[in-house]
Parts: sequence; structure tokens; C-alpha cells
Amino acid sequence: MSDVITLAHGSGGRKTSELIAELFKKNLGNEYFTADDAAVMPKPEGKIAMSTDGFIVSPWEFPGGNIGKLSICGTVNDLACMGAKPLYLTCSYIVEEGFPVADLEKIAEAMGETCKKAGVKIVAGDTKVAGKGQVDKVFITTAGVGVIKEGVNLSGANAKPGDKIIVTGDVGRHGTCILLARDEYGIEADVKSDCAPLWDAVDAVLEVCPEMHVIRDATRGGVGTVLYEICDQSDVGIDINSEAVPVAPEVRGVTGMLGLEPLYLACEGTMVMMCPAEYADKVVEALQKTEHAKGAAIIGEVTSENKGRVVMTTGIGGKTYLPQPGNELLPRIC
Amino acid sequence: MSEAFDARTYLENYDGPDFRIMEVCGTHTHEIFRQGIRRILSPKIKLISGPGCPVCVTPVSFIDEAVYLALEKGCTITTFGDLVRVPGTKMSLAGARAKGASIKVVYSPSDAVKYAGAHKDEQVVFLSVGFETTTPSDVIAVKTAMREGLTNFSLLTANKTMPGAYEAMGKSCDAFLYPGHVHCITGTQICKDMCEKGISGVIAGFTGDELLTALAIAAKKHAEGKPFFVNCYPRVVTDEGSPAAVAIVDKFMQPCDAEWRGIGTIPMSGMELRDEYAAYDARKKFEIPDLKGEYKTACRCGDVLQGKILPKECPLFGKACNPDHPVGACMVSSEGACSAFFMYGGDL
Amino acid sequence: MCVGLSAKVISVKDGVAIVDASGAKREVSAELLDDLEPGEYVMVHAGAAIAKITDDDKNETDKLKEEYLK
Repeated sequence: MSDVITLAHGSGGRKTSELIAELFKKNLGNEYFTADDAAVMPKPEGKIAMSTDGFIVSPWEFPGGNIGKLSICGTVNDLACMGAKPLYLTCSYIVEEGFPVADLEKIAEAMGETCKKAGVKIVAGDTKVAGKGQVDKVFITTAGVGVIKEGVNLSGANAKPGDKIIVTGDVGRHGTCILLARDEYGIEADVKSDCAPLWDAVDAVLEVCPEMHVIRDATRGGVGTVLYEICDQSDVGIDINSEAVPVAPEVRGVTGMLGLEPLYLACEGTMVMMCPAEYADKVVEALQKTEHAKGAAIIGEVTSENKGRVVMTTGIGGKTYLPQPGNELLPRIC
Repeated sequence: MSEAFDARTYLENYDGPDFRIMEVCGTHTHEIFRQGIRRILSPKIKLISGPGCPVCVTPVSFIDEAVYLALEKGCTITTFGDLVRVPGTKMSLAGARAKGASIKVVYSPSDAVKYAGAHKDEQVVFLSVGFETTTPSDVIAVKTAMREGLTNFSLLTANKTMPGAYEAMGKSCDAFLYPGHVHCITGTQICKDMCEKGISGVIAGFTGDELLTALAIAAKKHAEGKPFFVNCYPRVVTDEGSPAAVAIVDKFMQPCDAEWRGIGTIPMSGMELRDEYAAYDARKKFEIPDLKGEYKTACRCGDVLQGKILPKECPLFGKACNPDHPVGACMVSSEGACSAFFMYGGDL
Repeated sequence: MCVGLSAKVISVKDGVAIVDASGAKREVSAELLDDLEPGEYVMVHAGAAIAKITDDDKNETDKLKEEYLK
């Protein structure tokens, strides 16, 4: 195979077949991934959930993963948030002419590994090559299907006053990691993306808390954005104890230097959960036993006051609003 | 070990004479809101946000000058992010950027000089805005440019100093919450001098504890009835301040009259580059014409800056003027009273 | 103009210090401080170390409260 992706690789001919065989089938192949126009799978048992996401992260590779791993985790986690066990994914690549094949291989490998970890199979795919400059290195879109666990009813509109709010780990790591990887600020810090598939964590939680109300993946816009979305959808207020929000020391250092709020930096393996108070401790305990949610913590509760607002209790016992999404600060001067 | 006195409880229960304390530091404005301190204070303590945000007190003409340099002279403008959306007479820097101007956000003056070093084909101008804490960094940038023989770097200055503001605002309050980092540079003498003149104050740091402690001490001293000064930030502020910082600023700059948005001209309250550094002074280098800025009439930033009204008392607050489309500088700047009030809920 | 950040000095050379705030490292100007040694703590503002920090805020406020609020 050549060193770099060329337009020929996307033309559907011999070069395309070569690419599929040597890169994609090798890393992603399974019994449903055939040469036919569509994949055929057995009928699932129960209601299905479906989701799709596009991935254009730059740089494509960062501490903790790459765009490939991200593209699997993103869709897997979206399905998990509906209480659906992720089963089958599709993926579509748009690659820039000249992109190194070795890098594409890295991406495909990461996807294969992540699929195995998440217990999902990629059953269909597509590759297109765009001319130089028409796409930034590689864009990936994944879609996924999962089967919803019996009895589960999760929705952003289900939060009730009194519910406890739990995060599955420390916040703002992926956003901080990408910021550092772009190397625009002259800051060095050891921050790995929290990118991870979370079906195991969700499954564990639904076993101990059948009355879970909300599970949401905090991605772009971070945990803060999710909290405001729930306030809106459920017509409630939220109280957060700022001292209880887990933040990694390096993330604190970087956000302190740039004047950013960790609650508004992206996550890629952190979920926000809201459940009746009586289950909260059991939920945290169950999460802490899973691979990617060891840092789970209760950070606040849903209220009927200050509807539409997230109120933070500060370290000195003061009360203040978390600024609404879009009003958070641009990186400040120091 | 003795029981630590609870500053918070003191402030919540304060029942002494009415106490108006003015903070004059953008970061204090911001942190006080962000820590939820206003709500803790007893109703007898009135905390006023004064002209502490350097972006907020920058006159409209400064933005106009920057836009002129960008669009008419093709300069690359390097600036702190907060200045980008401040409205000028016709447009902000963001507006100029939409017309093709080269506007680059940097995080410190040294980043601007680094950029100039790496882009010698561009004329780079740094928008030098700030009080005594930031000014040393601005002159260090000029020093670096000189050392590296750069001919493509200059400052558009609007640096200011606090003493003039303290004098101007002295009658609007019973005491000042002095800006900790300004006094880290200038020391405590001026605070002592003000106390001799009957104007009280405490120097405060920036953590929640430091702010509560400074406010509690100020309230208690006020209740005792005599002018007072206490340095409540001794871990950073020494009596002598930073002689090195004062010396380096003095080498490159001299005092000048300065226009403060909302207050007017305060004599000798600004800093400009000395004549021998004219090559680094964008106004002289590019012969900027005298631009008179025009303020939007309904905007009441001026009154907010002097603590005469609360942000929510401005008719535009939250309606025509909000962080998404700000009318005045107090709403644009992350340290402006209006933006802090809006984001952190002044009414909570 | 910004919350000064407190940071630990890792190294100093030719007027430039590398400082560390909870694991985030950055270069800042050390021109304003003489005799800066690795291990010392400084307050950083707008890219310059402006002062050495001589105490943590808990000790500082405890002492102040002891002196003025008893």
C-alpha cells in the first residue's frame, strides 16, 4: 500500500478495496461486516435506540486517544444514556488527500480496540477521499443502534426536585487536553483525555437503581451545559456544591492560568446522572467499582427554587449562579 | 491554638454604623460575585463596585485608535481577549476583524512580542491597557523588543494608575478595598497617606477567605470610628512593594493625563512611553490623528463605574445590553460590574 | 486584571522562570524579582512573577483575625 491516501483510494475501485481489506476489515471485521451493500443482523429483543455523531477533533491525536477512539465512545455513550446496550455501529470516513496511511491505520486500530472493549461491532462503513484542503485530515461519522434495558425510562425531562446529581468522574479533562494539544498557550501539563466507553458503568447503575431519572453524556460544553439543559427540559433549578465537583489538579492549574471554568470544558467519558436521593450512595458505590467511573461523586441536587438556574455554593459558603452557557468567560488575561 | 474568628459570621451579623466600602479592582469585582460574597453581607454593609476594571475605564477613542491602526495602517493588533468586543464609535475590534483586520488575542504582552519576533513582516501593535500590576509586563515587552532589535513592535498605551481614582472616588465611600496586586507593586505608602487624609481602606487578596477577612476587619474598624488602614494581604504585599517593578516602569514611562470612561479626565493618572522610546509608541510611530470617541447616550457605564447605580438599575441592563450583544464596556469585560452581575446573579 | 495565580518556581534562567501551578507548567518573566530560587512560590500576573509569596492564605487570615477581630 502507498504511504499516503490518494483520490484513488476513494474512487471505489481496486485501491478502495485494498484500503478496506488492509485497514478496515483487518481492524474492525466481524461476522456482520460483509462486502454487501448493507449489513443484516438478527432482530433485537426489545425497543431500540439509535444515535449518530460526527467527529472533527483537531488535533486528531491527543494524550489519551485519537479521533478513532472518540468516534466509538461518543456514539456508544449516547446510546448508553438512553439505557440501551450498544450493539452495532456504522462508520463513515472522509479523508483528506495526502493523509498518511500509517496514521489512518492508527485510527482504525484504536477503533477496533475500543469496539472490543465496548462490546460493539462495526457492521457497515464507507470511505471517501476529498481533495487537499477540502477536509481537515480526517472526519469520521458513526451511527449506532442499541437495545433498551427492560423497564428503563431515561430522559432529560425526568429530573425531580430532591434528586441527587452525580458525575461519574472528574470534569473538563478532554477539553483541557485538546487545548494543551493545540499548543497555543505555552502551557505544559500531563492531562489525558477522559475518552472512554461507559456502557458498563450505566449497566451497573441501572441494576442498583431502576428508578434512575436522567443520564446524560457531558461532551461539548461540559457538565455545566448539561446541568442547564436539564433545568430547561425538566423545569427545575439545580444546586451544586462547588467543593464537591471533582477536578484533577492539573486541570485546575491550566484553567486557573487561563481563567476558564472546568464545568464548561468538554468531557468525553464523563456522565451526569440524576436519581432519587435514596439511591444516590448505592449509585456512587456501583460506579466506583467500574473501570471508568472510579472518581464518581455526588455534586448537588435538583430543586424547585431558582428554576432554570444552576446555583453554586462556594468554598466560603456563599451562593452564586454558575454563569449560563455562552456567558462563560473567554480565556482571561493571566 | 485559639479559635479562629469567623469573619463570615461577623459580616452576616454586622450591626454597626452603615458602611460603604468600594472595591476598585476588576478581579475583586469578579471574585466577590463568583464567591457569592455579596449575599453574605449584612444589609448595613454596602459593597460598591468602582472603576477597577481597566477595560471598562478605557475610553471609546482608544478602540477607535486601534481600529484605525488595524484598518488604515494594516497593523496586526495583539490584545487581551476582553478588548475585542468593546464597542468603538463605529465598530469594535471584532467588527474590524470582520472587515479583514488582523486581530490576535494574546495572554500576556510577552506573547505579543514573541509574535512580533516570529512575524517580522507584520507591524505588531499591543494594546497596552492596565493598572500598576500589568504595566511592568508591558514595559518588559518593550525591553525585550529592544534587546532583540525588533522594529515591528509597538504599544498603543492606555495604562493608568490608581491614586487619581482613589482621590476622585474618596467621597463616594467610607473606605476602599484596595487592589492587592496593584499594591504588591506600589507598596503601602499611598494607603497610609490616604489614611492621614481621612480616607480609610484595607488591602485585600483574592481568595474567599482573604476577601471575607479583609471586609470583616474593615467593617470592625469603621465601627470604631477613626480613619484606618490595614494591609490584609501581607503574604504578597510588603510596605515597600516591588522597587524593581517601579524602577523599570519609571525608566520607560512617565505620567500623563488620562481619560477614564465614565469619569472624565483625571490629571496625571495615565502612563505613556517616554520620548526616547517613541519608536515603540504606536501613536507617534503611525501618527494617529486625534480621534474623539462618541459614547452611546443610553449606556450608563459611567454611573455604574462610579458606583452611583447598580448594573440592574441601568435601563439597558439585561435587555439591549447583555454579554451576547454588549452596549458598554462594563458588560463586555469579564471583570466589568455589569457582566459580573449578569453572569453571577446580583440578586441571588 | 486577573486573579494572580500562585505557582511554584521550577527553574530560573536569564530572567525567565518556569513555574508550576498544580501540575500546569508555563514560562513567566522573572525580571521583577531578584534571587528567585527553585522551590519558592510566586504570584504570577500577565505573564510576570510579581512577588514572592511568604505564606498560605489560611495562616495569613488566621493571623489577621487573631490581631484585628478578637
